[in-house]
Amino acid sequence: MRSQLKYAIVIALAIAFPFITPDPDFWVSSGGTRALWLGVAALSMSFLNRNLGLMSLGQLFFSGVSGYIVAISSVMHGVKFGTSVPLAILAGTLSGVVIGWIALKTKGVYFFMLTLAVTLGLYSFANQAQEITRGHTGINSIPSPIILGMDFAYVKPLYYLFLGISVLLFALCKFVERTSFGIALKGVRDNEDRMISMGYRIMPLKMIAFVFSAFIASIAGVMGVFYVTNISPDSVGLLRSIDLLVIVVVGGATYLGGAFVGAVLIAVFEAIIQDFTVYYVGATGILFIVVLMLAPQGLMGINAQIRAKRAKSEGVSR
Amino acid sequence: MTQFVFTFLNGITLAGLYFLVASGLTLIFGLMRVINLAHGAFYLLAGYISWTVADKTNNWFYGAVVGALSLGVFGTLVYVLLLRKFQYEELRVALITLGVSLVLAQAMLAIFGGEYYQTNIPTPLSFTISVPGLGLSYPFFRIFVLLLAIAVAISLWIFITKTRYGAIIRAGVDDTTMVSALGINVQAVFIWIFFLGSLLVGFAGAVGGTTNSFGMGTDGDYLLFSLQVVIIGGLGSIGGVAIGSLLVGVIGQYAVGYFPTFAGIITFTMLILVLAFRPQGILGKKS
Repeated sequence: MRSQLKYAIVIALAIAFPFITPDPDFWVSSGGTRALWLGVAALSMSFLNRNLGLMSLGQLFFSGVSGYIVAISSVMHGVKFGTSVPLAILAGTLSGVVIGWIALKTKGVYFFMLTLAVTLGLYSFANQAQEITRGHTGINSIPSPIILGMDFAYVKPLYYLFLGISVLLFALCKFVERTSFGIALKGVRDNEDRMISMGYRIMPLKMIAFVFSAFIASIAGVMGVFYVTNISPDSVGLLRSIDLLVIVVVGGATYLGGAFVGAVLIAVFEAIIQDFTVYYVGATGILFIVVLMLAPQGLMGINAQIRAKRAKSEGVSR
Repeated sequence: MTQFVFTFLNGITLAGLYFLVASGLTLIFGLMRVINLAHGAFYLLAGYISWTVADKTNNWFYGAVVGALSLGVFGTLVYVLLLRKFQYEELRVALITLGVSLVLAQAMLAIFGGEYYQTNIPTPLSFTISVPGLGLSYPFFRIFVLLLAIAVAISLWIFITKTRYGAIIRAGVDDTTMVSALGINVQAVFIWIFFLGSLLVGFAGAVGGTTNSFGMGTDGDYLLFSLQVVIIGGLGSIGGVAIGSLLVGVIGQYAVGYFPTFAGIITFTMLILVLAFRPQGILGKKS
């Protein structure tokens, strides 16, 4: 009950946000909408890390696949969003099967490295395949969607669209975690061998979870295209990968809500620090290192960390 | 035919460079289970440092030595200050090094700007040699890089398999606790390994910054190359790095030469194929 109240308050605040923030033209877009987009992308990472114990940098690959498909088909071939968006999400999700087939054979830091290589591979493809992706310049001035006469080029409609998507996906993740599938996943995370001896087939479980996270990442890819209105190799580059990772780690990588907490924090942090230095990404990097060294559980985990520390020191003094 | 041979030469000399870059990564991982994802940034930093020194002193060799040594020291500092405490938490260490690469990339952008640099080839080595029978001349310096890589490979192999220190390292890979119980200061060994691995990438940066131009984004490119090389070859194995470099270098160059649009995809497909049959890489040990 308490957690439901907490969610209700957060959603109410998010709905009221465009009306209570100072300088709404700036903050709704650069703070709110941006945080929701990055939050969904980070959610796909958190979901995997929380339920399978796998930290994946391949999520940007799926976002990139779906984002590029929407951008290329709508700008260069005039395909309507009604067709291109579902197709793009489908393609991004299915690419999860291919990547998962390879990557899920590995674990831990190997998995992390492999998925990083996958994303960097898409980056170099996007740079090289000029006829398809327009190379380094990328695809610019992607039109905004108009749904039921509502033009999402405006700041507030886009914010509420993203808020709706975020709430739905978050609830979906929570729901999946409560199903018997979700519980089996946690079993795989904690002890694979025991799950195997209990008669579970591990690979399909991991695969479904991985493809599900690719589905969320693909949606984030489309959101990115509509928010930024362009896509270029940098959208799937090393810096953006690290950006997502920073969000997940700073928010708390073992909490679903950590994705959005981290996204809000980083969006606000970068929006503010941009006024002081052009090298704000470096400042984000320092923040990242500090959090990793002092509070590896992230913001959401600080309470638990302090509690554990106190319990430990009391144990010693006794 | 000429293009075919030319592409092969490009590929095999590039493989030499890849070997120099990735051997440090695999060396550090082999003993310490530490994945340094700032490896690409280290490469780029060494490129800038050697370029600056070579430009000021008009001497390529000073540039290479200073570049390699300063990266050795820098890498050791990163290890001692940021990584050592969490050495056995693999993922946390990998994440911290990624943070280091982010900070480094921005610092280099602030200092050196967005332009591309390339160090001049030292004059005594700046000539071309003709390939017999093909009427083709090829820059000697690239061959020199390949020879350097072979020399480094052989020295590393001798160092690791034939010397007492190599024996300590190999023993440390298998059982760190036992090695320290034998009275060997494993902490000091770790520091030296990190120094050596960073020194190698520093040297690679000096050499690679002479054969290829470098600048903003080069760190990501070379991180990708090194990851591909070690993933294909098998993480932690020097021989694996040699095989991985050859595959990525030669096949990558043919892909760029003949199918430029799909070059990235081709290298990538190769990586996927290798992993599909050998998830631990060609020479990697099963964990």
